[in-house]
Amino acid sequence: MFAFNCSVTRRRDARPPVLLTAALAVAVPGFLVTACSGQTAVSASPQEITASAPASTGATGSPNAPPQEARRPASALAAHLLTQAAQAAVLTSYQGEEIISHWGTANGGSVLVSDIWHASGGQTITQTLTAGTAASSEPYLSSDTDGQWPEGVLGVTTQLVRLLETHYVVAYAGAGSADNRTAQIVEAWRENGSLAARFWLDDATKLPLEREVFDTAAHVISEDVFINVRFSKLAPAAAPAGGPSDPQGPWTDPLPAGQLLALRASGWLVPPELPGGLSLFTGAQTQTTTGTVLDLGYSDGLSVVSVFEQRGNLAAKLAGWQKVTMAGHVIYAAEPDQRSLTWASRGMVYTVMADAPAQTVDTVIKALPHDTPPGFWKRMSHGFARLASWVNPFG
Amino acid sequence: MTHLGDRLSALVDGELDGAERDRAYAHLASCEQCRTEAAELRALKQKLSTLLSRAPAEAAMTRRLIAMTGPGGPLPPRRRLLRLAPGPRPASRRGTRRETTRPGPRGPVRRRYLVLSAVSLVVGLSTAAFTAGGGGEATPGPRITPPVEMYSVQHAITTGEVPFTGPSARASVADSDATQP
Repeated sequence: MFAFNCSVTRRRDARPPVLLTAALAVAVPGFLVTACSGQTAVSASPQEITASAPASTGATGSPNAPPQEARRPASALAAHLLTQAAQAAVLTSYQGEEIISHWGTANGGSVLVSDIWHASGGQTITQTLTAGTAASSEPYLSSDTDGQWPEGVLGVTTQLVRLLETHYVVAYAGAGSADNRTAQIVEAWRENGSLAARFWLDDATKLPLEREVFDTAAHVISEDVFINVRFSKLAPAAAPAGGPSDPQGPWTDPLPAGQLLALRASGWLVPPELPGGLSLFTGAQTQTTTGTVLDLGYSDGLSVVSVFEQRGNLAAKLAGWQKVTMAGHVIYAAEPDQRSLTWASRGMVYTVMADAPAQTVDTVIKALPHDTPPGFWKRMSHGFARLASWVNPFG
Repeated sequence: MTHLGDRLSALVDGELDGAERDRAYAHLASCEQCRTEAAELRALKQKLSTLLSRAPAEAAMTRRLIAMTGPGGPLPPRRRLLRLAPGPRPASRRGTRRETTRPGPRGPVRRRYLVLSAVSLVVGLSTAAFTAGGGGEATPGPRITPPVEMYSVQHAITTGEVPFTGPSARASVADSDATQP
């Protein structure tokens, strides 16, 4: 693996052969050890890796240019680092600012800034600034003391890491830096050889500090950073006072996929998979004043799509929503970022929220049920039946 | 003296050609009886026309009455006029021609109105059915505005990212409480 990194560097920078020979002399034995014993590589400390492998991604390890290099080989170390990152997001106390930037959404893109306070054990307070204004949302408190909910940082959760390893080739890409901290870089590659994502994990705690997501054309579609990070066991004490709100409602604990699929017998639409390689991996239910809401989570490890279902029809007037046409269907998109999409079909209201490329969202929207406008004869038939019912004194 | 006979009604209807019309006018100038009959015919025709304009709903009947005053057709008034004015019947040949070339107007008018009525009925019913058939099926259940804020928090937990909310989130939550009985 390290020798591979060096060869990449050689091609890109054309370093003198002497340096390359020296680098190979150091890296080849390490590569052989790693290849022969994955467990050894997993247990190797990042410091050792940093010392023995030069970063292949530049001085800061922030390769913002579209990735052009060949796919790196799968690495048990990369998978282990991601698992550690998912655990660190729950077990470490920290606070900082998350900046979530998306491109390629229905209206072009969006940027969200949130202050995060997290205490080891699962309690997290999040306050999101409203995009484009100085106003901020109500602080939101999530208390996950039993660790059931897959909360994480920058989309690195235990479940998503498992899906990522299933759908992508995860590879270690050396050391770099993010937020002025030393970081380990892990990449996710598609089977077709294109780079899908790159993660910067804090060297000391493994907490995710930065994530870039690329589409199949090597364009960045999402860039998330966690900056001004401070680690403290008393982090939530600095959270805003006044009682954080909990608009979430009493959702059930995450239901396993098998239990969710059984809900189909009750008339819920629960497809085991959605287009784009998205697998059903979690779900939950909650009771609202308008009935039961079912939440289904689909992901391939990077893209995440939530499908909310509720029996009923859309209100006649949807404040804050506007009509859009997606995948050939007229649906409603929530303003201003249009990341929430909703429509009704056959007595069920579907709401989709997605962190996924636009083409993936399109295929998902297309795959879910929609009411098609009736044809001319069907409409006439329905109309005559309705007229007959109006004049039928016994109807 | 030979009276105009059924040529009088043809004159009133303007159906006589130049030479025949001149001879008819020459006769009217010297015949009091024919002038009187011509005046009565014109008055009757004018009255029927007035009735037609005042009562469109009775158009069919009026047209029939007008047709009765018009040339051609074996109509009783004309026969009565002929009986009142006996004499040679130079128009008998013309009357035969009318019967063969101009059949009575009652049949076509009635059929035309029947067809128009039927077409209007079909078009009206079809339009009403097309209009009533739109709008989709009315399905039971509450009217829902998706609560964006609640969903976004849940989605953020699923994704392991931070919640994202829109400015309309709170209104959406409030709207979602509205149900339709």
